[in-house]
Amino acid sequence: MISLRGVRKTYASPAGPIEAVAGVSVDIAEGEFVSILGPSGCGKSTLLMMLAGLESITAGSITIGGQPMTGPRRDAGLVFQDATLLPWLSARDNVLFPIKMMRLPREKYVARAEELLHSVGLGDFMDKRPRELSGGMRQRVALCRSLVHTPSIMLMDEPFSALDAITRDEMALVLLDLWARHRKTGIFITHSIREAVLLSDRVLVMTKRPAVVVADVKIPFARPRDESVQDSPEFTAIVARLRGMIEHSIKVAA
Amino acid sequence: MSATQLGDVTPVAAPPAAPLNAEKRDLSRHPAAQIVLPVAFAAAVLLLWEFLCRAYAVPEVILPTPSAIYARIISAWPFLVQHAVPTGTEAAIGFLLATVLGIALAVLLSYSRWAYAALYPNVIFFQLIPKIALAPLFIVWLGIGSSSRLAFSMFIAFFPVVIATLTGLNATPPDMLRLCKALTARSWQVFLSVRFPYALPHIFSGLKIAVTFAIIGVIVGEFITAQAGLGYLILFASSQAETSLIMASIAMLCVVGLVLYGAVAGLERLILRKYGH
Repeated sequence: MISLRGVRKTYASPAGPIEAVAGVSVDIAEGEFVSILGPSGCGKSTLLMMLAGLESITAGSITIGGQPMTGPRRDAGLVFQDATLLPWLSARDNVLFPIKMMRLPREKYVARAEELLHSVGLGDFMDKRPRELSGGMRQRVALCRSLVHTPSIMLMDEPFSALDAITRDEMALVLLDLWARHRKTGIFITHSIREAVLLSDRVLVMTKRPAVVVADVKIPFARPRDESVQDSPEFTAIVARLRGMIEHSIKVAA
Repeated sequence: MSATQLGDVTPVAAPPAAPLNAEKRDLSRHPAAQIVLPVAFAAAVLLLWEFLCRAYAVPEVILPTPSAIYARIISAWPFLVQHAVPTGTEAAIGFLLATVLGIALAVLLSYSRWAYAALYPNVIFFQLIPKIALAPLFIVWLGIGSSSRLAFSMFIAFFPVVIATLTGLNATPPDMLRLCKALTARSWQVFLSVRFPYALPHIFSGLKIAVTFAIIGVIVGEFITAQAGLGYLILFASSQAETSLIMASIAMLCVVGLVLYGAVAGLERLILRKYGH
């Protein structure tokens, strides 16, 4: 269980302190997939970086499994908007990069890395370098990399935002499938409402000024899910409801 | 169109295949043309030079013809080689010292905020001043032997290495560094596996500038002090009004420059084949 209690983040600036996150209290159960949905600049990335232990917490607390956060945790896997692969390494070596950085024995993880690449359809591309892969393929490598060291939490910061619309839809399904196999606690930042609803057990709506969570919406679709979920009237209704909330919050903020 | 309803799918016939090679081929991009054209241009300039010198009977002291320079290169060849060796060796050593010290300083600057704050503005200051003017100081300090030329050569080749390496070490995408931090990587690991390889293309562009600077440094040193070397030979020939020997020495200097530059560019190709982006 991940518990956030009154989490705040304030940055100093010449014009006075800027409040990036203004008091977020949320519980996320183990194995739950939660999306944080909101307009850009609402502090959702900052919140994720605090969960990764990469940003200090100005006030409040984050505990994971009862343990307070003190810094970077080795049981978290990170995915960014850009794949951020090392250009000179093969797909396989990029997936194994966390093993190297964590000073773990490589030979114990090679089979797992290859299995992960197979599972996302990159079995024939393991020896290719990033520049020989498409944008979607690179992001699949990044997804595999975030799982190679068997983390218990996946933290994803708009991982599909830089992709074209068709690839993006495809990647959501890849992630859905990958998550069904590995069942990590997933925290997924996005500004795509459909993506959030398709992937998540819960969607948290965040707004800016103040940067807080204004809604916590349960997504009722059974797992395992596939793309057909999106065709149901219920899906459309939830998407419409969330869109209404976001539009309202933007109007209030403006 | 009126019969078309929303969502109807109308099959579209494939367009007829376009004839291959429909676009006119641009011969100037042909690999052979890329070699032939510059060589032909240089040859044309030499021919024109030769023709004008002969047509206007330009005295050899003012401007010797390319054929006269060629004849001088042949007749003075052992002599030219003998002088090219110290110039080339000193430039190579000056360059290597500049490379080692430049990269070392850049690494220090990128890891220590204090060192960066104290030293970087001064590095930029030295980068901006005309360093050639400082050459006589090196002779005052280190004498007229090869050590003053080496030190001066290293001194002027050093700055492009520092600045390029520093730029390169800062070229790692911030998210990559965040990932390393999240994985609890040690800073030496991040340096060896991420930041240094990311810096390599930048470092090599600095090294290619530095190698030409190192030769300039040695030549300037030789102009002032040396009893041997191509810089000395140029000055000596000039005092004898031996213009064709000046030209022959300059041609030899071009060869030295090309060899050293070629060595760096060759190493770059080799290394960036692996670490290029």
